[in-house]
Amino acid sequence: MDVAQALQELTELSAQVERAVVLDAEGSVVGSTVADERATERLATVARDLTAAAGELHAGGDEVTRVEVELRDGAVFVLREGGRTIAAVTSPEPTAGLVAYDLRTCLHAIDDTPKPRRRRAGQEPKEEADE
Amino acid sequence: MRRLLRLVLLAALTVWAWRFLAARRATHERVGVSYADGSSLVLEPGSTGFERLAAVARGALSP
Repeated sequence: MDVAQALQELTELSAQVERAVVLDAEGSVVGSTVADERATERLATVARDLTAAAGELHAGGDEVTRVEVELRDGAVFVLREGGRTIAAVTSPEPTAGLVAYDLRTCLHAIDDTPKPRRRRAGQEPKEEADE
Repeated sequence: MRRLLRLVLLAALTVWAWRFLAARRATHERVGVSYADGSSLVLEPGSTGFERLAAVARGALSP
């Protein structure tokens, strides 16, 4: 599933997610639910700044995997997994666990690329078997 | 004496009800951060970390 499809599925499934963006490992936007380019870049900047600021809070300097900021006007979620980052804005007082689950599912859906078929153990390619 | 006791009880009930309703109305603000090593932290309003992350997040919430 490509990024646009995964994001569309996310907004269809989660009533709490208002808008979301997906960033690649370099921090570049690879998909967004928002048509407005400025709004997309603003959310992407917030996602990058949040992970940077959250990283500075940890003495070990470990990678930030999740940031959730719940405020009176709404909430911002940032999830990082498999080199990708997803950031989402939700309505006020969201069900944090559910939103995080939906965002993680979205990231996993993007990763779902068709895998090559596995050969049965002991089964050799025809050319080799004939030798 | 009995009337005074009733009055104190009534006042206590009023204060409890007011605080209960006020607490329900208050929006809970918080910041949660998780790290790759499995550790996590929760920041409450008033802490430096909370104010910093909340200020960044407000950039995405404003229309």
